[in-house]
Amino acid sequence: MGLFHYNIEKYSPKQLVIIPMVLLAISLVVLAYVTVTVGMPVTPGIDFSGGTAVTVITSDTTAQIQSEFAGYPLVSVSEGLNNGKFITFGTMSDAQYQSLTALVASKYPDAQIDQIGESFGKTLQDQAFIALIIAFIGMAIVVFVSFRTFVPSCAVVLSAFADMVMTAAMMNVVGIQLSLGTTAALLMLIGYSVDSDILLTTRVLKRQGKLNDKLTGAFRTGIIMTSTTIAAVTVLLIVSWAGQVVVIEEISAVLLMGLIFDILNTWLTNVGILKWYVLKGGGK
Amino acid sequence: MKQERIKDLFSDWRVLVLIVLLVLSVIAIYPHFDSNGNLTTNLQYGLDFQQGSWIQLEFKSEVVGFTTTEPVDTFVTNLSKSLDTDVVQVDANHLEIRKSYTQAELQPYFEAEDGTVVSYQPGISATTADLVKQILVDKINSMGTKDAKVNTITGLNGVTQYVRVEMAGVDMNQAQQIVGKQGKFEIRIQTTGNQTDHVLYGDSITSVQVPSQSPAGSGNWGVGFTLSADGASTFQNTAIKYGATTDPADHKLTMLLDNKSVYSAPLSQALAGSLQSEPTTQLFASTGSGTSGEQQATNLEIQLRAGALPVDVAIAGSGSTSASLGQHYMEMCLIAGIFALIMVAFVIFYRYREPRIVLPMVLINASEIVILLGFISVIQFQMDLPTVAGLIAVLGTGIDQLVVITDEILHEGLVPSPNIYLKRLARALTIIVIAAATVLIAMLPLALMDLSTLKGFAIITMMGVIIGVLVTRPAYGRIIMDILSE
Repeated sequence: MGLFHYNIEKYSPKQLVIIPMVLLAISLVVLAYVTVTVGMPVTPGIDFSGGTAVTVITSDTTAQIQSEFAGYPLVSVSEGLNNGKFITFGTMSDAQYQSLTALVASKYPDAQIDQIGESFGKTLQDQAFIALIIAFIGMAIVVFVSFRTFVPSCAVVLSAFADMVMTAAMMNVVGIQLSLGTTAALLMLIGYSVDSDILLTTRVLKRQGKLNDKLTGAFRTGIIMTSTTIAAVTVLLIVSWAGQVVVIEEISAVLLMGLIFDILNTWLTNVGILKWYVLKGGGK
Repeated sequence: MKQERIKDLFSDWRVLVLIVLLVLSVIAIYPHFDSNGNLTTNLQYGLDFQQGSWIQLEFKSEVVGFTTTEPVDTFVTNLSKSLDTDVVQVDANHLEIRKSYTQAELQPYFEAEDGTVVSYQPGISATTADLVKQILVDKINSMGTKDAKVNTITGLNGVTQYVRVEMAGVDMNQAQQIVGKQGKFEIRIQTTGNQTDHVLYGDSITSVQVPSQSPAGSGNWGVGFTLSADGASTFQNTAIKYGATTDPADHKLTMLLDNKSVYSAPLSQALAGSLQSEPTTQLFASTGSGTSGEQQATNLEIQLRAGALPVDVAIAGSGSTSASLGQHYMEMCLIAGIFALIMVAFVIFYRYREPRIVLPMVLINASEIVILLGFISVIQFQMDLPTVAGLIAVLGTGIDQLVVITDEILHEGLVPSPNIYLKRLARALTIIVIAAATVLIAMLPLALMDLSTLKGFAIITMMGVIIGVLVTRPAYGRIIMDILSE
């Protein structure tokens, strides 16, 4: 009854995994390229590289804002609906920052200002990196302990890894920077993206019945699970985009991309490997 | 028959726990009308949702692990002299150096004093951090800022690198004035000619009195202040060492705020005499007579009080939200939350086409959010934007797991016997527990580390998962069993 009909039994394991594996390879190339040019797999935002962001609701045009802040290291001005503007600056000295805040306070008293120093950004960046690694390893351990079979556990962990890598690569493509908020989104993805993989693996390994029936049943449940989350996240993205709530906009955009890749990786990558494993004689 | 069923349902422990928690949560959130007739709750909002500012300060200091062949006391004294700053021994193997040096810069200084640098960590010791926190709290309180929080941010190794100050109702400029321009207070003594030497920093001053006349009614103004016992003996020793007790006029004492002289005077004859024999903790800085003397005394009081951070600081990060933008964010989040719930209900309805299944699902989903908000109220957590995103993600994934339960039970047809039903519920819960465990483990590093604002977000997300697994999902299993077996 899902949104579309997907006939898993029609395809061989090889056919199933080929598309995501190609995408994974392309994503890894993108991440490698960005790492070489920028120094990090995803372009860091001000939370990690240091800098200042000003959010303001004003009818001033981008050009007016640019001339207003000409004396400061202006990086970008982005516009949302309802005259919302999001202005970012590079790093500056304490004295320059204080004069900037004074200027913002007099010109736009209702603005929101966020500033992160360079060394503090570096600390945050290191911690975020460690958090991501620990979270991923932790997730892998939970999966291995839960299933206690090598190939199916690897399939789940590989799917989650592919989710992360493809999402991170996509962030570069659509221009979402790595910030505290998007790091939180990536961490959420580590946790949530394995939901449907766990459902699939449990159904296939622990239930009696024909493989194809089990796969079809798991897909019916799994796709609706991901769809509900996608529905919630899409609403969040639309509202935050329209309302210029940048933090939430970025978080929900990353979650949305991750969930779409999750469909791909669960129902192609994970299913493919699991099918190969069962056909080869593993499982019950 | 039907009534019996409902009675049964409501006496089931899973359902009871859910209802009790829901009621408690609503009490904790306490929605009510305030005196202006506006609807308010006990929920606390962070700086994303109300006017306010935060400033995070970084300490220009480091904690260094060391070894030395010299006696430790001599080593510390010599090092302090060569580095021209305070060096405080933290424990047997660690020193706090109150000036910004890199490890490479420190190495030659340590070698010159027969020591080695074993480890290097920017920041201050826990003891100094407590002191800084206390000074900042006092300072903010004396400025009359009502709603302020000061938190030191300490790594797992016990070294504090940052202190974060959050002030509600204060804009960025005011906040910078209150916190950012932190002065460093120092007392120095004239040695020979124009040369001076360090005596004390502001941290040796334990209290500062209001301006007064001494003797009372004489018109001779000044500020009294108290030194710690250590400070008093250092003061006495230094005064004797340079001969200030015998020749006060040529050994003036200078008070510096941010390396600028704010006060300079010789020891009084009476004090010089008494210092010769014993340390004194009570000191009085006279500023002269008349209105100008009184004015100077008032300034000196503020300088003595406000400039008392023992370590230099720099602004590491800061931010502020205006009242109107906070209001705007709050409205957006409310709209997003309501629409997300409606969208989720819509997708679920599309799948099951059965109001008797969809309605309990959505209600359970909403109750999960209510319980979570209740929990947030109880722990007085201040909601911010990432937390709202987390709450809405909980909404989306919470319903996932209700789908797992429903599908597992519906598997191979309706109306299973209670035995088979419980087996299926147990199987569904296995899937849910494994999935929940992965989320918990993924959020754990964030909850333990101090990634700025994300710590609260991680705790709330973890709490959402725990409430879901322990309370709402088992209750849903019981309720849906009743509905499906009708």
